[in-house]
Amino acid sequence: MKTLENSPTVSRRSRLLAGVAAAAAILALSAGSASAAANCIKGDRKAPYTVGWANIYSVPTWMKQTEGTIAAEVEELKTAGLVKDLMITDAQGNAQTQIQHIQSMIDADVDAIVVIAGSSNALDRVISDACDKGIAVVNFDSLVNTDKVTAKINTDSSEWGAGAAKWLADQLGGKGKIIVMNGPAGISVSDDRRKGAQPVLDANPGLEIITETNTEYNSAPAQEAMTSLLFANPEIDGVLSLGGAISAGSVMAFDRQGREQVPITGENARQFLELWKEKGLKGWATMQPNWLGALAVYTAVQALEGKDVPAFVKVPLPVIDDSTIDTYLARADQFPADGYIYSDYDKALFDKLLAQ
Amino acid sequence: MSAVPSSGWLYGAIQRGRNRGLGGLYLVVAAFLVLYAVLFPGILSVSGFSKFTQNWFPLALVTMAQALLMLNGGITLAIGPLVSLGAVIAATTMGGALGVPGGILAVALAGLAIGAVTGAIVAHLRLPAIIVTLAGSFIITGVALILLPRPGGFIPDWLSTTLAGHTPVAFLLLVAILLAWKAFLATPLGIGIYAAGDNPIGAFRSGVPVERVKIVAFALSGLLAALAGLFVAAQTGSGDPVIGTPFTLNSIAAAVLGGVGFLGGKGTMRGAICGSLLLSVMINVMFFLGFPPVAQYVAQGLIIVGAVAVPELLKQWRARR
Repeated sequence: MKTLENSPTVSRRSRLLAGVAAAAAILALSAGSASAAANCIKGDRKAPYTVGWANIYSVPTWMKQTEGTIAAEVEELKTAGLVKDLMITDAQGNAQTQIQHIQSMIDADVDAIVVIAGSSNALDRVISDACDKGIAVVNFDSLVNTDKVTAKINTDSSEWGAGAAKWLADQLGGKGKIIVMNGPAGISVSDDRRKGAQPVLDANPGLEIITETNTEYNSAPAQEAMTSLLFANPEIDGVLSLGGAISAGSVMAFDRQGREQVPITGENARQFLELWKEKGLKGWATMQPNWLGALAVYTAVQALEGKDVPAFVKVPLPVIDDSTIDTYLARADQFPADGYIYSDYDKALFDKLLAQ
Repeated sequence: MSAVPSSGWLYGAIQRGRNRGLGGLYLVVAAFLVLYAVLFPGILSVSGFSKFTQNWFPLALVTMAQALLMLNGGITLAIGPLVSLGAVIAATTMGGALGVPGGILAVALAGLAIGAVTGAIVAHLRLPAIIVTLAGSFIITGVALILLPRPGGFIPDWLSTTLAGHTPVAFLLLVAILLAWKAFLATPLGIGIYAAGDNPIGAFRSGVPVERVKIVAFALSGLLAALAGLFVAAQTGSGDPVIGTPFTLNSIAAAVLGGVGFLGGKGTMRGAICGSLLLSVMINVMFFLGFPPVAQYVAQGLIIVGAVAVPELLKQWRARR
């Protein structure tokens, strides 16, 4: 009886409560999305998402490894029900083709685009078009100029160059003849690393740059370039090598010529790290971690899920020196012979980087 | 009325004869366009059509630049660097006192001048075009890198929106350029390009100024490549000193795909344009078919071989009948 009597009031009250709660929830949600939604996100896209990976060039080993971390991340997000599909394109080094690919991704209405830019400017317009369509655009490694992206993820190339130059200056006690080996000309990354090194070189007037080279980030062209430099320069005290497998090529050139190895900087190329150990080099290396790709996918999905993500995620440069090289070489067999041994990563690290 | 039909008949017969070898290519291109429209119906909208033709436009221009020389019995390896230089000049001058008209003029003059100088060296010193343009490509790349050491510069937004917005301006420009080419072919100099490519000695004896024709061909080719660079700069909103590099090989591929021969005098501009369209639409079709990148490399090769083989097979089949 009582319950029957009471039931209408109860239900009315509960309905009222529910209504208030719903209204509050909607308020909270809209307020939340207004303040927290990341750039480009409109909130109209629902999981599971389709992710487009617009690669500039898939052939180099670094790229293959990066694609590996992206695919692994997508698999993980698939099991979580957040991603349903990964579309991969390869512009074969042609920035113009990359524009065409991103345009096709917009046409196919993907939910997220992760991209390594083939040119720092060329993609600006097509990427802002994607952003206008509410597509989460996460750009990593080679960055675009436009800020109309959800997030940019990178290490600091200028710090890269400065760190390398500083280590070399310390090794040589601030004086000596050095050779600078750069990546390809006209590429922002190689230009930024070189620029970052300049203030340190200026501060050490005792360091004399005998000559500079530009080669691809591969060991073979670097070895060739260094071989001819060795013929021309009987006295070299150090090599400031700014990336990729260039250092490995340089070390091999010294070795072939029977010249005594000199202090050298470099990147986490397995070939270089192994030579470093084998020849007992005085070395220093940092890296552009391949898992930036995985982090980019993770960031895009987080943003689509309504989480706030920083517009720029600065990834600290992991440094390899004599004290840490063994931890890297211990994992060497998990990486391709001409690949890069990147530092470990997990979801906790990603969350920490995104919480900056 | 009496004279017109006969000359019209002759014109029609010549055009039919030139189209015959291209039937297969037309079929392949049409098939790809239909397939693309089925996969992505948005291409039929104004905006979709505009975006697609914008991505094709620079390749169409450099293909014309290449075909122009190949028809004349030459070739150029400096297409890509010229595109880069055009983009760099546009991006560095348009923000200055000269403004957009000055920038366009500077790009056009640079293209014409570089082309004319290259042509003069090839024609008067009788050096092989492939070597001269290879050397030229290094010089031009260097100049572009000096003018703009890294991507940057400035293109006014309105220019980018006009040329590469959501309107088919690029396509209309291409139509205009093709009409201009058609008109140019009707001039003695225009006919001279074919004649001197096909049979230089015969052309010379018939009064064609073979050397001048060669210089004009190189100058026009340089102009087209530099303008393609201007468009790329507008499309991307900036200049990039190495963005043109892949265009060199692609322009040769598109021209050969379109039936333009290496030995001069053989082929048509419309075939070359079709070749460039095939290269461009192929990229989009493979994307929408969801080909993984590795398969795309293979598919790309198969499509190119197929597009060259189909017309040949059609010809053999026709001959056997």
